[in-house]
Amino acid sequence: MSYENYKNWKTKAISGIPHLSIVIPAYNEQERIVATIGAIASHVSDLGFEWELLIADDGSKDDTVKLVEELGLVNLRLLKTPKNGGKGNAVQRGMIASKGRYVLFADADNSTPIEEISKLLAKLEKENYDVAVGSRAVEGAEESNKSFLRHLLSGGLRWIVKNVLRINVRDTQCGFKMYTQKAAKELHAMQTIMGFSFDLEILFLASKYGLRIAEVPVSWVDAPGSKVDTKKEIQRFLRDLVNIQVNNFKGVYRRM
Amino acid sequence: MDITHKVSNSINIIQLGGRFDAHEVAPVVAWLKGQAEAGKVNLVVNLAGVNFIDSTALSTLVQGLKHCREKNGELHLCCMQQPVRVIFELTRLDKAFSIYTSEEEATAFQA
Repeated sequence: MSYENYKNWKTKAISGIPHLSIVIPAYNEQERIVATIGAIASHVSDLGFEWELLIADDGSKDDTVKLVEELGLVNLRLLKTPKNGGKGNAVQRGMIASKGRYVLFADADNSTPIEEISKLLAKLEKENYDVAVGSRAVEGAEESNKSFLRHLLSGGLRWIVKNVLRINVRDTQCGFKMYTQKAAKELHAMQTIMGFSFDLEILFLASKYGLRIAEVPVSWVDAPGSKVDTKKEIQRFLRDLVNIQVNNFKGVYRRM
Repeated sequence: MDITHKVSNSINIIQLGGRFDAHEVAPVVAWLKGQAEAGKVNLVVNLAGVNFIDSTALSTLVQGLKHCREKNGELHLCCMQQPVRVIFELTRLDKAFSIYTSEEEATAFQA
């Protein structure tokens, strides 16, 4: 690993189209965002291509914005908004603003270690998939610190997703997904769900329009400090599942 | 997280490996507390095996450093992997700690 590569990325602005954009949605992440940016910047700068990092703040009320602004990383773009619009909204803004040939969305807690990125990138670059989904539910995946309750809930939700929405992806909710630029822009332009279950809608749309989706096993750690209220999110997830069906029936999802 | 202990040049050393985050700080907090109770104020934390460190783990090291300095000692860090070094730089904690590239340097400085 070369420190020079990181130093170059930190100080020299890229001129052309980046090979990769990484979008991180952030809401009140002052405790976690800097460490995650450090881990990502160090690893990705060494992969041998130009890349940009987008932090899509979601109206944080803590010092997230100030901390990110003070880092002075020239290839980091901070997308600010005065309102808290939901995680899906932050990811959507990041995806629309991204310039890379490939676009990764990653959670702010580095719960899927950034070292897993090469597996997803290889699926898009070498096997011509449109979407690569980090998965905790396929053979070869590793999970740490996940509670029995979360295991149980994940299993139940996976069954519903497969049998109701007919999405052939076992883990729709892992916060580590990569798209080609075209897929990212098209899918997120049609997005209507702005909460945590936006992934479900994006994968439904990808399936509906026949995009090629690869599910890639990744390691995952249940990182401390999660802001997810499990009970509320399950209720929203089920409600959004119905909304997706209704939207689809009404013809809301039209490809640009 | 993988943890081992050793003594070199009369300095107590803890060697850490894996992801050093809020789930994993308890044994390090206990080690620091044990050292304080035993009157050991010159310590080394070897981070060679650590590939990610979060704010809780950083805070644990800062607390350890503070306690050592209050007793006229030092807590030195060594053998950081690049991602951890970058996290220390971005949080500006590289200015607070004495950071060495090898365990020998970290212990020889205090001997």
